[in-house]
Amino acid sequence: MSRTILDVHILHTVPPSNINRDDSGSPKTATYGGVRRARVSSQSWKRAVRLAFRRTLDDSQLGERTKRIGEAIAARIADLDPELKDRASALAADVLKASGLVKKEAAAKKSKGEAAANSDVESGYLMFLSHRQQENLARAAIDAERTGEKLDTKQLQKLADTDHSIDIAMFGRMLADVPDLNVDAAVQVAHALSVHAVDNEFDYYTAVDDRKLDNQETGAGMIGTIEFNSATLYRYATIDVDRLHETLGDADATREAVTAFLKAFATSMPSGKQNTFANGTRPDAVMVRLRDTQSVNLVGAFEEPVRERQLGERSGMVAEAARKLADYTTEIEKTYGDPAVAAWITHVGSRTAALAPLGEVLPLPDLVSAVGTTVAGRLGTPA
Amino acid sequence: MSVLLLRLAGPLQAWGSTSRFTQRHTEIAPTKSGVIGLLAAARGQRRTDPLTELLGLGFGVRIDQPGQILRDFQVARSLDGRDSMPLTNRYYLSDAVFLAAIGGDSELLDGLHEAVRRPQFPLYLGRRSCPPVVPVTLGVRPGTVAEVLSDVPWQAAKRLRERGPSTVRLEVLLDAPPGAEVTETLQDEPVSFDPAHRQYGWRAVVRTRVLAPNPDGRPPVAAGVPGGIALADHDPLTWL
Repeated sequence: MSRTILDVHILHTVPPSNINRDDSGSPKTATYGGVRRARVSSQSWKRAVRLAFRRTLDDSQLGERTKRIGEAIAARIADLDPELKDRASALAADVLKASGLVKKEAAAKKSKGEAAANSDVESGYLMFLSHRQQENLARAAIDAERTGEKLDTKQLQKLADTDHSIDIAMFGRMLADVPDLNVDAAVQVAHALSVHAVDNEFDYYTAVDDRKLDNQETGAGMIGTIEFNSATLYRYATIDVDRLHETLGDADATREAVTAFLKAFATSMPSGKQNTFANGTRPDAVMVRLRDTQSVNLVGAFEEPVRERQLGERSGMVAEAARKLADYTTEIEKTYGDPAVAAWITHVGSRTAALAPLGEVLPLPDLVSAVGTTVAGRLGTPA
Repeated sequence: MSVLLLRLAGPLQAWGSTSRFTQRHTEIAPTKSGVIGLLAAARGQRRTDPLTELLGLGFGVRIDQPGQILRDFQVARSLDGRDSMPLTNRYYLSDAVFLAAIGGDSELLDGLHEAVRRPQFPLYLGRRSCPPVVPVTLGVRPGTVAEVLSDVPWQAAKRLRERGPSTVRLEVLLDAPPGAEVTETLQDEPVSFDPAHRQYGWRAVVRTRVLAPNPDGRPPVAAGVPGGIALADHDPLTWL
């Protein structure tokens, strides 16, 4: 079987920022190559991608991850059949209980602090269902109500296991109560790491009390600190196109999922402290490599941290990172004798020119559609 | 008896054996269930497929570069931001390098070597967000797990190898041979990965040390030589 694996490698510089922080408010870090690096967790960036999907994809291609699953299905029931509006919550509860998706105890629990009228079912964990699955369950509830037939668990579980949305197929889902309905993720996202050593810095600030100004009083209204760092990040994700195709069951949908992911992964960023630092930047370089053997994470290029000065010369982090990434890519593929089947590069300016010989150089929208066309071709449907 | 060698390295790895709920732990070395799971994934086995052939394999792991424990604090929220889930702590090992040895029939191991080179499912080091640095497989060699783990050169980062002595003493965790005296037990013997009834058995493990060659290291200098640095492995416990 021919395999199709897309590796996405991104060099992305962020100025002073704190896009992903831990419980003490510090930017996340990790040690690699013996030095501390800036880190952005994979979960954080995946959430940014899912939020970006909402701007680019149709609602019907997406899913929703919520505990308030009863509320979601009740709203669909009321939408589909306004006559059942008053009983929508009860019907939604019935269908969820019958499906086994929500355990009985959890189902009985009512939302905290709300009137008894609100008896929407909540799941014990964030339940990831596609909008189409929600709609199918709502329809099943309405049909059962109209015909008086009993809700069938098997049938309902099947409804929750077909019509998967793009985000479910990409990132997978785990339903603790019904493991048969789990979906294995087709996308693997690594934690983003800076290509160089970083130290977190502290911004000490004072805030002035507007009224005190009039009274010529001295002293700050409050003081505090914010931690931040700046970094050139190496970001890596890999899409198992065959797995995606298997879950979505359709070549067109797979192509759409791939292109949506590439666009979203390249241009999104977790929103942490964005208003404080206005750190929204675009990647310096995006390299997509199509492979048919195995995905290859190229973070090894940066195990020895990049230094801003090489041999006494100021070359800059980005240029040095691009050079290292290009050399390492060539070396790895030569050493193991399995070059990429196809490769595309989007890069900004001359600093990242070292990557240009590694693939077809295109602006991002063209890269995305070129990858989409190739993927569709490999799945056996002409673009 | 042959041995398949895997080099497990990457910025982050996580090898859980006892995690429940919001604290997701990692052991300090790869678990047998984690590595067998990686091999099964490489072969394209589903979680529900029986592990038959993979159940009887021997296992040993050498800690070439112990790395550091990293705590990753995480919050989960629904997409609309209204619901938040319990706060979780996920523990990782950062900057670690391990050598895992799988002992068994050479034909089966050759197949596994090929599978890791062209895996059906993407590989990861214990947690999906931890892709490995290639190459993962170093091939199949003759010998027992314990023998091979003391033959293979030290796999740590270059900067450490160049600074180290020409022979290094490394910690290994091996399946305990029958009748072994000092053992500890780990619940990481895979029985089934089926999400409906995941099962791990207990495994007796001996923790010992081996001497491994380090061709990149400096030749040993006798202790006490003026100007020389005592590079011989320093183990204060030998004085007890």
